[in-house]
Amino acid sequence: MQTIKQTSPYIRKDVSTKRMMIDVLIALTPVVIFSIYRFGWDAVIRILVSLVVMVGLEAIAFGIMQKPGKHEKWIDRLKSRFEKYTINNITAPAVSAVIFAMLVPSKLPIYAVIVGAAFGIIVGKMLFGGMGSNIFNVAAVGRIFIALALTDMFTGTYVGVDMIAGGTALTAIRTGAGFPHTLNSYPLIDMFMGNIPGSMGEISALAILIGMAYLLIRRSADYRVIVSSLVTFVVLMFVAGLKLYPDQVLDYTLFHLFSGGILFGAVFMITDPVTSPVTRPGRWIYGLLVGALVVLIRLFGAYPEGVAFALLFSNMFVPLIDYPQWATNKFKPAFFIGYGVAFIALVAIVYFGVGGAV
Amino acid sequence: MIQKTRCIPDGKKELKKLPIDHYTEANYLYYPVTSARCPEGETCVRGGQFVKIGEVIGTRKGAFFEQPMHATVSGEVVGNEKHVDQSGKLVDCLIVKNDFKYELHETIKDRTNEEIDALTKEEFVEIVKDAGLVGLGGSAFPTYIKLNTKDKIDVVLANGVECEPNLISDYGLMMTNPRAVVEGLIFAMKASGAKKGVIAIKKKYKEIAERLEFCLNEFSDYDLSIAKVGNFYPQGWELMTIKNALGIKIPQGELLSKYGVLNFNVSTLASIYAAVRNRLPVLERYVSLSGNGIHNKNFRARIGTLMTELIESAGGYKDIDVPKVLILGGPMMGTNVTQDDIVMTHTTTSLIVQNEEQLQEEPCIHCASCVYSCPVEIQPVQIMNAYKVRNKDILKQLEVNKCIECGLCSFVCPSKIHLTEYMRKAKSFASK
Repeated sequence: MQTIKQTSPYIRKDVSTKRMMIDVLIALTPVVIFSIYRFGWDAVIRILVSLVVMVGLEAIAFGIMQKPGKHEKWIDRLKSRFEKYTINNITAPAVSAVIFAMLVPSKLPIYAVIVGAAFGIIVGKMLFGGMGSNIFNVAAVGRIFIALALTDMFTGTYVGVDMIAGGTALTAIRTGAGFPHTLNSYPLIDMFMGNIPGSMGEISALAILIGMAYLLIRRSADYRVIVSSLVTFVVLMFVAGLKLYPDQVLDYTLFHLFSGGILFGAVFMITDPVTSPVTRPGRWIYGLLVGALVVLIRLFGAYPEGVAFALLFSNMFVPLIDYPQWATNKFKPAFFIGYGVAFIALVAIVYFGVGGAV
Repeated sequence: MIQKTRCIPDGKKELKKLPIDHYTEANYLYYPVTSARCPEGETCVRGGQFVKIGEVIGTRKGAFFEQPMHATVSGEVVGNEKHVDQSGKLVDCLIVKNDFKYELHETIKDRTNEEIDALTKEEFVEIVKDAGLVGLGGSAFPTYIKLNTKDKIDVVLANGVECEPNLISDYGLMMTNPRAVVEGLIFAMKASGAKKGVIAIKKKYKEIAERLEFCLNEFSDYDLSIAKVGNFYPQGWELMTIKNALGIKIPQGELLSKYGVLNFNVSTLASIYAAVRNRLPVLERYVSLSGNGIHNKNFRARIGTLMTELIESAGGYKDIDVPKVLILGGPMMGTNVTQDDIVMTHTTTSLIVQNEEQLQEEPCIHCASCVYSCPVEIQPVQIMNAYKVRNKDILKQLEVNKCIECGLCSFVCPSKIHLTEYMRKAKSFASK
């Protein structure tokens, strides 16, 4: 009988990275189905293009990064480059690809989708070393790249989604009629169901919430970042509403919650474990950072929407949050004090800052 | 997935259903002269000499203590041979040929109640020392050193949690002989001067709680109680048991006695009982064969029995063609051995034989399951990364030495990364 040398423990839990990725894909299905229902072939094509580009480029980049074995035939050498290629090299880029596709408007030209997806997977992921090594959210990198490189397509001079649809809810509140009137063209119930213009995946809060419920039940996403970022966002928006529209505080808060990408981002992008801190307090801080940055960009920034920006910016702070000198999995008093003080400071900034802006 | 994992499949249900076989057919019994704690040892019997049960046949010598070896059968000493012991190393063993008469040595006489009542603290410690008792939970730490503490002891804790999967040694003992545990606890209390005794068991073991409570009624003079603790892993880790059973929080690295607590495995207490009441050393232990690569069976077998005999008696291995992993102890913290030529020692409670399973390691995705699950609240993933770049300062900041190698980080990892192995390497690297 042959015996094998191993070290303890000899049993493993029945979980896998593959299952986690597939869970995210399953959670994305309501959003995807809604976008297809709403935008038809436009959505299908953009999702497929994004999938092909991301999965294909990851495979190519993966092969280039491996050292080939010593074989006579070129086909054997090529095969040896893909010995370590696993199902996760398909599921992980697939998740990024679907999320990226959900972030773009349905009328965005195909070449822009290709450029964004390619930039995200190559620069955002593979250049950092592939799966698990990227420090920025892949989909957000791609989205921000095309938003900056092809600005016209998103702001209205381009005859695309915005001109046809009359601008998204968030651009309307800025450049259009202003807040209370936007509710006439975009009632809250429509915003909840997704009956508004906007990026393909971000518009239906209902579909996103279904996905969130699934992710949380399966525990494939950490509830801490979701709760932390959404609570921060809602409270700060509520404070801004108190100052700006004291009569319609609730409407204002809900309007912001259901418009733009905050819900989608909080459920599918912030929860990306690769770019999150690894401790419980760290994840609360990370959520606070993202939620607060989205609010600050929306209220004071030059862009109508800022989830992707806020996310990339917070990604940069993750190594700092995780720095071993202070990173701990215990909830120490310093964390509560720090979190509380930061929260109160943000509330004060929003309250007084918004007043000045009006 | 991304959550704190504390419940692990324990595989005890099937084992509990199997009968416990009393194995007495061993022709030859083997007694290791050295052990992991005692690097030296000598025998005091000659080849051809006749020994009886309980007779001293040699001494193992540790760094600061000596430990007598006892024969567990009667018969003839026939020589020496090398076999694998609990730690997985080849050790020299003394062989005794069993004459199947099971004669007791002349010194083995029961003590009467009056004799026991007259025993002083020092005498208790002396008895335990002479019987060569060690921590039977797996530590094999000499019991008398623990009992002989200078600190004031308030409470003695009997640890019957046995949180490792697949082990039912303590369970079997408490089911069949709860009285020995309770009386052993009382003796330990007398020996240490403690007023209170607590038996910690898992909440789900209702049948054990019943038996122990029934037994406790007889000893209402003493302040004894049962603490039911959660069915978690690693609940049996002494600091965790003490925290949950007694509510005393002891920092890692501190002596338990400083906090007035003594913690013994229930099997150790039963051995104290046998030593005090019957003047007997540890003769037998419950041992189970489990895992998917072997016919499962429970035994009560003499110390010194060869594991190969037990395996044969149970029906041998399954799927001979498949490579096997042999584990002594539990599947989370047990020792890996590469031969089945194992001698049963005091701390042998289980042999697990698993068919080999290929695990493919994926890149870490920072899900933090290991950080959430770690019972000592360190960050395995960060330690792994720091070890990969050999950063000693960061490793110290991350308090890698706190790790108790419980194996949960490897167990929960969805990428199947062997974090526990990294922890071990990092520990030895950081302390270099």
